[in-house]
Amino acid sequence: MQRRWLSTTTIAIAVALVAAACGGGGTGATTTGPAATTAAAATTAAPAAEIIIASDLPTSGADASSGLPTQNGAAFAVSQTPTYKGIKITFKPFDDTVNGVHDPQKGAQNVQQMLSDPKVLAMVGPFNSNVARAEIPIANQGQLAMMSPSNTNECLTQLFPYCDPKPAALRPTGKNNYFRIAAPDTVQGPAMADYVIKTLKLTKVAVFSDNETFGKGVADNFVKRLTSTGGTLTNRQDFDMKTTSDFKAFINAAKAAGAQAIYAGATSATKACIVRSQMAGILDVPFTGPDGIGDDQCLKDAGANTANMYFTNAAGDAAQNPDAAATVAAFKVAYPKASDLGAYTFPAYDCALILVDAVKRAIDANGGKVPSRQQVIDAVQATSGLKGTVGTYAFDANGDPKSATMAFWFTKGTPAVWTFQSQFSVQ
Amino acid sequence: MVSSLARVRGRLLAGSRGRVLNGILLILIAAALVLVATRAIALGPAYFIQIVVYGLADGSIYALIALGYTMVYGIVELINFAHGDVFTLGGFVSLWLIPIFGLEEAKSVGPGIIIPLVAILVISMLVCGVVNVAIERVAYRPLRHAPRLAPLITAVGMSFVLEGLMFLWRGPFNLHYPNLLPADSISLGGSASIAYKDIAVIVIALGLMTALSLFVERSKLGKAMRATAQDRDAAGLMGIDINRTIAATFFIGALLAGAGGMIYGLYFTSIAFDLGFSAGLYAFTAAVFGGIGNIQGAAIGGLLIGIVRVIVDGYFDSAWTDVVVFALLVLVLVFRPTGIMGMRVPEK
Amino acid sequence: MTVLRRIWETDPRKDPNPLVYALLAITAVAYPIWAQASTGGQGDFLISFLADGGVYVLLAIGLNVVVGFAGLLDLGYAAFFAIGAYTYAFLASDHLVVTPLQEAVHLPFWIVLFIGLFVAAAFGIVLGAPTLRLRGDYLAIVTLGFGEIVPRVFRNLGVWTSGVNGISALDKPQLPLWIQGPWSGDQLEVVQNFKIIQPLGFYVIMVLLVGACIVLVNNLRISRIGRAWMAVREDEVAAAAMGVNTVRVKLLTFAIGAAFSGFAGAFYGAKLSLVSPENFGFSVSITILVMIVLGGMGNIPGVIAGAILIYVVIFGLLGALPPLAEEWATSLGLGSLVAPNGDWPGIAQEVQRLRFLIFGLILVLTMLLRPQGLIPSRVRQQELTKGVNEDQTIEDVNAEAAT
Repeated sequence: MQRRWLSTTTIAIAVALVAAACGGGGTGATTTGPAATTAAAATTAAPAAEIIIASDLPTSGADASSGLPTQNGAAFAVSQTPTYKGIKITFKPFDDTVNGVHDPQKGAQNVQQMLSDPKVLAMVGPFNSNVARAEIPIANQGQLAMMSPSNTNECLTQLFPYCDPKPAALRPTGKNNYFRIAAPDTVQGPAMADYVIKTLKLTKVAVFSDNETFGKGVADNFVKRLTSTGGTLTNRQDFDMKTTSDFKAFINAAKAAGAQAIYAGATSATKACIVRSQMAGILDVPFTGPDGIGDDQCLKDAGANTANMYFTNAAGDAAQNPDAAATVAAFKVAYPKASDLGAYTFPAYDCALILVDAVKRAIDANGGKVPSRQQVIDAVQATSGLKGTVGTYAFDANGDPKSATMAFWFTKGTPAVWTFQSQFSVQ
Repeated sequence: MVSSLARVRGRLLAGSRGRVLNGILLILIAAALVLVATRAIALGPAYFIQIVVYGLADGSIYALIALGYTMVYGIVELINFAHGDVFTLGGFVSLWLIPIFGLEEAKSVGPGIIIPLVAILVISMLVCGVVNVAIERVAYRPLRHAPRLAPLITAVGMSFVLEGLMFLWRGPFNLHYPNLLPADSISLGGSASIAYKDIAVIVIALGLMTALSLFVERSKLGKAMRATAQDRDAAGLMGIDINRTIAATFFIGALLAGAGGMIYGLYFTSIAFDLGFSAGLYAFTAAVFGGIGNIQGAAIGGLLIGIVRVIVDGYFDSAWTDVVVFALLVLVLVFRPTGIMGMRVPEK
Repeated sequence: MTVLRRIWETDPRKDPNPLVYALLAITAVAYPIWAQASTGGQGDFLISFLADGGVYVLLAIGLNVVVGFAGLLDLGYAAFFAIGAYTYAFLASDHLVVTPLQEAVHLPFWIVLFIGLFVAAAFGIVLGAPTLRLRGDYLAIVTLGFGEIVPRVFRNLGVWTSGVNGISALDKPQLPLWIQGPWSGDQLEVVQNFKIIQPLGFYVIMVLLVGACIVLVNNLRISRIGRAWMAVREDEVAAAAMGVNTVRVKLLTFAIGAAFSGFAGAFYGAKLSLVSPENFGFSVSITILVMIVLGGMGNIPGVIAGAILIYVVIFGLLGALPPLAEEWATSLGLGSLVAPNGDWPGIAQEVQRLRFLIFGLILVLTMLLRPQGLIPSRVRQQELTKGVNEDQTIEDVNAEAAT
């Protein structure tokens, strides 16, 4: 009997803990800001006011391969400007994964939590277009500026007849708060289609995608332009990359249909370049793709089969920009592990850079005081000619980058490295 | 008493209604075959042979994992969700050992690599075996008499723990696995060919599986395993050390999974920490296809899944591959509730 | 009044359920007040957080009917959740304009809630029908297959479902009449077609839904069908021999179990305003199963407590751990751990990387320490302690004889 009573008490305590934990989950995070401030205050005479630039990225489980390096870029950019006019600027990361998969519900909760903290004035993210659809309406009502390094779905910002939902439906206040630096799928896919037909002089292309929002969207747009400008689609597959690693049947079908090139609507995180590796000995044709394959991970995955690969990059040639080289070097000192750097690290760096720049201008405009969230949005909108590591930025009324440059890169040498080839501007 | 009642009822059910169901099954199979055949004829026999070769290679890897599932289920009636992650661990351990043994991609070629490769294979298998036994000891054995679903939850927990450890070890990215097997291939007529890689995978997997089924059929420990699977208490009364037998089952299952992990790496030249989740799901499906608890059945189930996958990938739309595989699983169970190979599951 | 008296008079040592219900009710009322008070009026996100959690409570109650009451292991329960959510998405958004129908349907939330219930229940029967011949774990595997198929079908039928993009900008629930006043920071007036967008509104809807479901499921449990569930769970053949129509009972179980996830899906769609095929996978099914097993299978208060606990751990605690770890390290005088240093990425990032591991260990440890769940059902507890469970061995009997 004695033991029973003990166990019931345990249950009662457990239930009480549940109730307490309900808040613990949230408040723990909210109190961090002030706690960190006081901790810092002990060592340096910290300024009173603080501005937080948050991020919302998938940073655990399988999606961490996309999210963690991206978060590093944003964190590094914010750390470059610790204070401005006596106002502290800090970075606070949020994670939108549940059991390792990005989750719009978790993303929405994160944005609500950001809104509850008046110090949060802008956020970098989200990484996935679906998460963006859940977050934009909430952030819109709280006038929180969002800056995504990687969302490319065209319907997030522009109105096409096939779009559902329409961009306006995601913005209940009617004002825009969402910006991105990546060119939409309607730019990147067609650019590579033109390149394949006009420059590489190839017409028969096999296409695959990872069946995710980015990969499938960019592949669809590639196919649209390819078939409307005289090219032929030999075969197309949308793989479930989480459950498959065998692409040889697709490669053989492409070979049988006489494909002269492959287009990968995927990223190196979704096994794009493992397809390249498996092409060895079966089909030796150029391998093309979007910016998602333009990283070292892709070259590693491709193994020995790295020749003849091409990708489009929404930004111009970063190597031409000496500031970028210095930033990259500094980043590698701060984050020495190879896995700290990914395809979206520097786009995220630029996102945070734009936000910090906008916050600074908003502080100036507000007479050296902490600005309102709407003032930050206005300042982001007014960004012009800001030079980042992978591009020069200004935004149109939709939140899309104005006059983006599209660059073509290819692999060169052994061991292969990505090399800049040419660039052109898109309107 | 209860179980004999159930058997009578089962036999009654299998009577006239069973015949009708089997008829429907035959018609469905025929329709599917006709559909595949029309596509296959259009694309030529060479292509068909080619993709079936790939299917067999993929399938042998699934089969290796499925054996562990089926053995563990047979003996403790537990869906061991951590098994897929033990498979991934095999890949990770062998990837770590490859440079230690001085092997390098594109530099180490020729028959000289066979001995270090076998050594790596054996060590990875043993590591996986020990880890799996440890998991059984810590997470499953204490719950052997707990409610039936409790060990299922610890299995999910152990799966997260293993994934978490591998994540910490090598990070979240796809890891490139050195391409050590020769790229040459033998022509099979027309444009079809079979690479040495494919042959190696199929031969190693089949070899290991044959060894296992011989072991279970012939050895004393194997006999103890079968006895324990049939009736644990009676086996215990006959002097079989139940704990040792169950631990041995986990050990052997993990040996095969570990081998599967290394073979997967060599074959696909890439592994990732979360690979085990989907690989495990497929292997488990394979085990069910073959009639869970049935060792030969699991092997055949694995090969079948490999072939079905490449046929959908190769002739139809790969976005539907998983739907087809799982729909097939549902159909198989509806028409042949104990798997294609059938197995009398003790009613409990 | 009688309810209160019953709670008071029941010895929590014998039956903790009344106490747990009382605590849950108090928490439900006190939580929003506490949330606003503790954050100085910025507690909306906390209220919204728990309203989201209610979705999992509904799902756990539903899965408990199938697994806990009737003993049919279901590994693909997220499929019904997906069906409920997509039902709402189709019937309460502009989406059908871009499908071959070309006509939007905007039914009120309150009606779709019940349509979702019936659609999910219908699919429960569709799934239940082929599994009638199956027993035990084979049944579990068919449900697993179904759970894998449904989200992929939603993803692949892009013409109807927008594929991977999912369906978003769904309608918010509306009240035909509402009185606004100073309590919500507005002028006193009567509003027609009041749109619920405030988290508190969703929270209230969720509390009412959960309350209604608890009453419903409790009544079902003590009804004829509830006794049939128990009979089928304990011994299907014996139940059939006693005149229980096992076929009908099993089908009803799947239908009723699925119906709750129809509620959950509709609420999820309305609150998040988005459904996408990626978020109804196997891991969701497993999470719900973990909730009910951990909470105490077959016991409704236990299941609810388990659902809230696991939800808070997965959605709240694990995400909040990295900054918490930083805070603890600083307060323990280990401030040097906070900053990255060489191979050490800083404690926050290290803890972030440990998240999977921590969750796994929580699962393993709780099950090892309390295999029957936190608040087990009384019947099951007796089975366990009195040693009448099916897997009883010689050791058990000896151990019992010794005590």
